[in-house]
Amino acid sequence: MIKVENLYKSFDGVEVLKGINVEYEPGKCNMIIGASGSGKTVLLKNLIGLMTPDSGEISYGDRRLSEMHEDEKRHLRQKIGILFQGSALFDFATVIENVMFPMEFFTDWSAAQRRERAQYCLEKVNVIGSDNKYPNELSGGMQKRVGIARAIALNPEYLFCDEPNSGLDPYTSILIDRLISDLTKEFNMTTVVNTHDMNSILEIGDKIGFISKGELKWQGDRHTILQTDCRELRDFVCANTLARNIIEGK
Amino acid sequence: MIRKFFESIGRYILFLKQVFRKPEKWKIFWRQFINESDKLILSSILLVGVISVFIGGVLVIQTASNLENPIIDKMYIGYMVRESLILEFCSTMVALILAGKMGSNIASEIGSMRITEQIDAMDMMGVNSAGFLVLPKIVASTLLSPLLMLLSLALGLVGGWIVVEATQIIPSASYITGIKAFYNGFYIFYSCFKMSLFCFMISSIAAFNGYYARGGSLGVGRSSTQAIVTVSILILLMDLVVTQLMLY
Repeated sequence: MIKVENLYKSFDGVEVLKGINVEYEPGKCNMIIGASGSGKTVLLKNLIGLMTPDSGEISYGDRRLSEMHEDEKRHLRQKIGILFQGSALFDFATVIENVMFPMEFFTDWSAAQRRERAQYCLEKVNVIGSDNKYPNELSGGMQKRVGIARAIALNPEYLFCDEPNSGLDPYTSILIDRLISDLTKEFNMTTVVNTHDMNSILEIGDKIGFISKGELKWQGDRHTILQTDCRELRDFVCANTLARNIIEGK
Repeated sequence: MIRKFFESIGRYILFLKQVFRKPEKWKIFWRQFINESDKLILSSILLVGVISVFIGGVLVIQTASNLENPIIDKMYIGYMVRESLILEFCSTMVALILAGKMGSNIASEIGSMRITEQIDAMDMMGVNSAGFLVLPKIVASTLLSPLLMLLSLALGLVGGWIVVEATQIIPSASYITGIKAFYNGFYIFYSCFKMSLFCFMISSIAAFNGYYARGGSLGVGRSSTQAIVTVSILILLMDLVVTQLMLY
């Protein structure tokens, strides 16, 4: 469980997050949605500790992030898997080395055990036979899959995905969404997905928080999002033709 | 501007503090050290070697053309070439060349990792990204660069000898006698020390610029250029300071 209480963040006097309160639950795909520039990436970066909030609290379980010592934070980070928007695979390493990377640092497993675990993770995301390829030899979809494999390598409790299907075709996007959803349920992870892709929202959004101009304007799930009374959310949702047709009953 | 300057110095010190934290695993550090030694030092041998041979040859010709007085023994040409190579060329000039090669390599490599979120990914795993990426580069370049200096000296002297043999500008025996005359071992130490110091500056400042690169590929280019300019000026400045402290 991740709890966010009254979170504020500003840059050069401009408030980007204004008093966000939200809880992210385990075993669910918790989605942060909103238009570009709404503050969802800033919220995600605050959640994972890449940015420090001006005020407010973020708690992992019963521990507040602001009260954690550096060692405790490092320990927490080992329980976090992250899929970055551009996959962020290491250029200097092959596919299998990328997945083994966190294991090398944080486990005492032998090389054979690390390789076995990496291959298991790669099979989970359906990347087979590409162990020795470098990231630049893979397609965007494959890179995302390897990114997910690396993120789950240490069996994390928390999984964060920043726009997991940006730059992907609709078919690959849905495969990646389903993969994230299946892994979330299988490993009972607290997954937080940052997206503005309506297909993803309707496909895997177990819990959805809509952010607009730095404020959390609406919370619900994929079953209730189309019945929302929130005007800004309706405008956001209706930007998608399919959703607009559903809402308008066409 | 002054505030920005002091901010940069502060950030550089904090960056070094992060770099010099104890490595998470020594095994990984040594593996990286070997890789970086190969990438930064071994790959520079050809460049340094070629330049040193030519500079050694040019120094012989220039010195000979300025020492035409028959009273002065020709062996002094060899002696002066050796001293020029040891005292200035093999450390300072080679370091300036390496600032371009090594500096841009380090700044652009780390800068592109920064803008593609690879460094963020490492940090989020709980890996000390600065330690993992930068410490092996600094250690490899600082410890092994004196070998480049010695190699440069040897090849510079060989270059001078080739020119002497090819042009008979002075008798070969005089040149050999000259390069062996009035040998002062401290000068070798002084030159090795300078080289180590300069290479520490090259690797750490270039890494610092790359590590804090912002603004896409243009930002990477900017950080790389800024690293080379800063390092080149600092090398010349430190050359002056170290020379005053150690030789006078």
